[in-house]
Amino acid sequence: MVGKTYALYRKDYHSELRTRYAVNSLAMFIIVAISVILFSIGNEQITQSLTSGLFWVVIFFSAMSGLARAFVSEEERGTSLLLHLIAAPSTIFSGKLLFNLILVFCMNIIIAVLYTALFDAFIIRNFALFAVSFILGNIGLAVASTIIAAIISKAGAKGTLYPVLSFPILLPLILTSVQLTLYSNQGSSFADAKFELAIVLCYDVIMLTGSFMLFDFVWKD
Amino acid sequence: MKNKYLFGGLIIVIFLGFMAYLFTQSNIKYESDFAKVMKEQKVVKATGSWVKDKSYVMDIQNRVFSFYMEDADGHQMKVVYNGSMPNNFASAQSIVVTGEYKDGCFQATNILTKCPSKYEGQNVQAVKTSNL
Repeated sequence: MVGKTYALYRKDYHSELRTRYAVNSLAMFIIVAISVILFSIGNEQITQSLTSGLFWVVIFFSAMSGLARAFVSEEERGTSLLLHLIAAPSTIFSGKLLFNLILVFCMNIIIAVLYTALFDAFIIRNFALFAVSFILGNIGLAVASTIIAAIISKAGAKGTLYPVLSFPILLPLILTSVQLTLYSNQGSSFADAKFELAIVLCYDVIMLTGSFMLFDFVWKD
Repeated sequence: MKNKYLFGGLIIVIFLGFMAYLFTQSNIKYESDFAKVMKEQKVVKATGSWVKDKSYVMDIQNRVFSFYMEDADGHQMKVVYNGSMPNNFASAQSIVVTGEYKDGCFQATNILTKCPSKYEGQNVQAVKTSNL
């Protein structure tokens, strides 16, 4: 299973390198969104809570623009039947999840670096708290967006359906992550953020078990 | 195969319950020592009483209400609240303000007043005897 998962990841990685569809759309979105925010702020002094909110707005919409590719590309190229033949549903989901996880981590690290470089109010004062909340938030984002991508891949009007379906599912994660980012920017300790960290951890566990259970039904169709 | 769904469903239910419980928990702590409130500079619920000797300002046009509060040890601080003065403010025994100490005064987002109860056992007894 692990070998097949890795092989699926390698397949996605190589086909991504050939087309660079997801990477390009992610990069374009990040650059456009951050520069628009920067231009509109100008010389204005913005608060820390606003910056951490904007940070997750950019993350949410860039995830929406790039992560649906995992399953949509299989449907578009008509290769999903072949995947049915060669691997079990849970293996396929693990492979796609691994690819999306790596994509989400690369994307969010770039966004975080750009934010620290470009925004005066975005200063990470408690780096350990930021790292923990960042990793937990990214795992939740990757899992949720992978299962939603699988659900919408067979539907028409994928581009609109994806953010619409993702929004209610990702809302608790985004709200708590905004709060956690704010805490790490204010330099609060782990004790202050323990409720939020526990909420994000619960969210990750729920999404992981839920998506591995439901993927069988989504995929067998 | 069936066990997988049972087990997974159980995990989801347990963690959903835990998450719902966590969502109801508030991170805002009660603080009755104003020296700590002034030093820590984070959102707290400060409890104390209104200093009636010091002047209070009710700016109706800008809807800003400011007054002085005092804790049990006699520390005083100025509280600024964006809104009108609560109705039963003058008769309050103690006040709970939610907010953050910033720029030399406490910026309150919410004021709760604790009033003496109208219905006290002794009074009822007194009324009864007077009626007889």
